Amino acid sequence: MTALEIKDLSHFYVKGKNVLSNVSLELEEGEILSILGPSGCGKTTLLRIIAGLEKETGGSILMNDQIISDHFHTVLTENRDVGLVVQERALFPHLTIINNVMFGVVGSKSERHATAMRLLKLFKVERYAYNYPNEISSGEQQRVAIARAMAPNPKILLMDEPFGTLDQSLTNQLRVETRKILKDNKTTSIIVSHDFDDALSMSDKVIVIEDGTIIQSGSAKDITHISREKSVKFSSIKANT
Amino acid sequence: MRLSFWEITPVALFVVFIAPVAIVLVSLTGDYSDNWTHLYQYVLTRYIANTVYLVTGVSILVTIVGVGTAWLITNYNFTGKNIFEWALILPLAVPPYILAYTFTGLFDTYGTANNLIRDLFDLGREFIFFPKVRNVPGAIIVFSFTLYPYVYLVSRMAFINQSRTMLEAGRTLGLNKFQTFYKLGIPMIRPAIIGGLMLVIMETISDFGAVDHFAISTFTTGVFRTWYGMYDIETAKQLASLLLIFAVTLILLERYSRKNASYSNAMSLYKPLYLTKLKGIPNILAFTICFTPIFIGFLLPILELSYWALNYKLDFFNDKFITTAWNTFYLALIAAFLCSLLAVIINFSIRYKSNNYLKVMSSFLTVGYAVPGLILAIGVMQMLTYFDQSFISEISNFVLTGSIIGLVLAYVIKSYALASSTIESGYQRINSRVDDVARTLKTSGWSLLAQVHMPLLKTSFLTSMLLVVSEVIKELPATLILRPFNFDTLAVYTYIYAAEERMYDAAAPSIAIVMVGLIPIIILTRMIRTSRPASRD
Repeated sequence: MTALEIKDLSHFYVKGKNVLSNVSLELEEGEILSILGPSGCGKTTLLRIIAGLEKETGGSILMNDQIISDHFHTVLTENRDVGLVVQERALFPHLTIINNVMFGVVGSKSERHATAMRLLKLFKVERYAYNYPNEISSGEQQRVAIARAMAPNPKILLMDEPFGTLDQSLTNQLRVETRKILKDNKTTSIIVSHDFDDALSMSDKVIVIEDGTIIQSGSAKDITHISREKSVKFSSIKANT
Repeated sequence: MRLSFWEITPVALFVVFIAPVAIVLVSLTGDYSDNWTHLYQYVLTRYIANTVYLVTGVSILVTIVGVGTAWLITNYNFTGKNIFEWALILPLAVPPYILAYTFTGLFDTYGTANNLIRDLFDLGREFIFFPKVRNVPGAIIVFSFTLYPYVYLVSRMAFINQSRTMLEAGRTLGLNKFQTFYKLGIPMIRPAIIGGLMLVIMETISDFGAVDHFAISTFTTGVFRTWYGMYDIETAKQLASLLLIFAVTLILLERYSRKNASYSNAMSLYKPLYLTKLKGIPNILAFTICFTPIFIGFLLPILELSYWALNYKLDFFNDKFITTAWNTFYLALIAAFLCSLLAVIINFSIRYKSNNYLKVMSSFLTVGYAVPGLILAIGVMQMLTYFDQSFISEISNFVLTGSIIGLVLAYVIKSYALASSTIESGYQRINSRVDDVARTLKTSGWSLLAQVHMPLLKTSFLTSMLLVVSEVIKELPATLILRPFNFDTLAVYTYIYAAEERMYDAAAPSIAIVMVGLIPIIILTRMIRTSRPASRD
């Protein structure tokens, strides 16, 4: 089943200067897609549009064959059933770790607690359940942020430079662990990154965007073969789009 | 297109906030009565001359005191510097009208100071040492020594952010320390000084209590006399409109001057200033320069008020005082809560809807701070009278005019800017990505506000409430006009006693007002300490 379909999506902030032009892609259920590209290429904008945080100026988005956004319809972010992980992690500082993860989960308190604990265990941060975000390391915060986004069981998990601020060894470890959890849970995911290694180690599919247009797409192996050189250039750019 | 609560509320508030000001301004297009002709021919020139004289004198004195003390505190180490750093803000807790009352009590012919000199030197009752203070120069001193902290605060922040490298470049180009101060230090912080000065001027032209006590004819006393003396509300509104136009012109000039002056450190690497240790005469001089404004603006009135309260009115905590204090506090709390809540709702709307027109609308909501309380009160009263006459009288016996509602409305409009800027700075500390994530977790609108934003804005909300409470407690002219019959607040209580020259009776409410006024100053001091870019020592 097609989890996400984007048709001819375009977006601009200033008329005549497109941030995204005729972007089309399909993502099957349980697949992990990486969107690669240099800073300012429009990849974060694409993610925000899928999340409903920005409205595209042209094209359409379908989830499970239902239109969620086109010229006539817009399903609000809160009704789209997507999870979001951002580089800054954006954990709610006034809530404990367990309460952060329980935040978006529905059901009785015990059910919500059980769901949150299960995810915290998966990400090996259950011992910090009753700590506050500022009491744990940035790597642990990132695990919590992914757990929180997965907790409501979203149809699609969106991750924007999820490992962007972490050191290399921690990033390598988290990539492996996160991919395993996403695959075990059959979570359809999109990862936005400028780091080629993120795409290589985590995704089934990769698209490369430059100047708002998809210039390459295919399996991670295909892209490895074609554009390894190009992506090295991306990796040197640390800033987010 | 269906508009949500978050889009409708700013528009509704805009209408309510702007209406009183518009009502006053519209009077300019109406008929001009004989009273206007009389005012125009005989007193308007005096109102303008006195106001201009006052504003010019206060501007010069506050610039000298505010900038001078800020420069000393930022660049030098001298005896008492660590105390002066925060104590120089203390006079902000003393409203000009209270300093005016204590000044007359001290320096009038038979005031405390003259009596002291006579007793000390065994002189006769006809001997007068201190000159009269009930005149424009006296008022200039009163306003300058209560309002200079506005200039001190902004200058100090600007001096702190000045990089050492720029000043050192000046020294290597042949400037001595004093030349570095007025050729480099001052010009670089000019926009900040103008900003602070503008606040001082707005407060000066808005004041009613001090100029009324000194019997100086200015616009505000003129408006009050026209209304309550001639019973001519239309002419009072026309006179108030002129003052309003003057205030708006000042704001526009200030905005324009800021637009053309961007003196930031962006181009140079910031390096904190080194403190120069002062010894001997320079140390004594620096101490005296910083101590004098604190003494005149804070210690002197506090000492005089305490002396009156303790020596002449030992039973000042009587029923009347307690009732008045209670009236003041509950009114202030209601206004502060409403003001802060509205500020949260409006700032949330802007953030949630990320709509430019809401931003523009919200900037108009802060206009009340620039409108003198007296003018605002006239506008609010006229608006409520219209509501009473047009439909409220049809449906009930309740009358809005002269009720607490009018008073609270005026306070909210007047203090909204304070609350909004506090909440806005609170919001700046919340990463917008938090909202994005919360929305994907099915939290939006009220639940986003209640579950995510409010817990994070708790401190800002309380700070906002405290700032508004202290502002409302000091507010005099709007309270005088809009208060319900036989309803007194501490400011009115003080004013009535002072007007009857019963200064000793005015001491207790005055002290209470000053004490409450100290709360935001303590907050301010803490904020300045934590915002410092680097330690100087």
